[in-house]
Amino acid sequence: MASEDLFENEFSEEQDLELQQAMETEAEEAGEAKESPEVIEETPENPPAESATEPVADKPLTNGTKPSADHDARMTQLPMARIRNIMKLDPDLHMANNEAVFTVAKAVELFIASLSRESYTYTAQSKKKTIQKRDVEMAISAVDSLMFLDGAMNF
Amino acid sequence: MVERIEDLNLPNAVIARLIKESLPDSASVSKEARGAIARAASVFAIFVTSSSTALAHKQNHKTITAKDILQTLAELDFESFVPSLTEDLEVYRKMVKDKKESKANKKDTSSSENANASSTAVAEEAIE
Repeated sequence: MASEDLFENEFSEEQDLELQQAMETEAEEAGEAKESPEVIEETPENPPAESATEPVADKPLTNGTKPSADHDARMTQLPMARIRNIMKLDPDLHMANNEAVFTVAKAVELFIASLSRESYTYTAQSKKKTIQKRDVEMAISAVDSLMFLDGAMNF
Repeated sequence: MVERIEDLNLPNAVIARLIKESLPDSASVSKEARGAIARAASVFAIFVTSSSTALAHKQNHKTITAKDILQTLAELDFESFVPSLTEDLEVYRKMVKDKKESKANKKDTSSSENANASSTAVAEEAIE
């Protein structure tokens, strides 16, 4: 985290609370580099006014597998800082690099999706459309790999 | 560090979106069910972390890496997550690398020495 501070005055893209301006500039850079501006979610209003965009535009095209990959916040829907805080609850954890935090964040997203789908099978079985807490609990007790949740859900 | 206990909750709006995206359009979620899924997600994060920590300890390294997480997930019966996570990780690595490179290029104009040190730090940035 200290290393982020090193760049604080340099360019805002590294900061957790990124400036809207920076995001727009990044989006613009991404569009130029990948020649696919139509897939950008937020169409930037202003062209990038700085020459700082040049190095980015030199990127090989293969870097553009995901147009939204320019910022952490765009790659994980869950905030990495929050995931990091949760991970730090483990007293045995000495260090975890950013890739590890990213992987956990993504894994949690997949977990939410799979638990939701699993729960919904019970909702559908009882001919309902709205998942109730009961459905989630049934999913948890039915799936072996969710055993770890037993007893952790009632607080 | 965590100052308020709410800082450990995952954001409700994001949870709601993730749930909705995984279900048919007609489906919805009660507030209690969403709360239960959110809690399960937090517990899952802790569970994966502590299992990875144990694994890293066994292998005598201190820093938890993405590899540890993936290996842990496979051992915990979540190997179905691994292929997709491996792909995401590739994209993430490229993104970090690109950022580092563009940053290094910018730094060159001021002080290149500093840039090298800093970009290494970005790659190795770790939880205290």
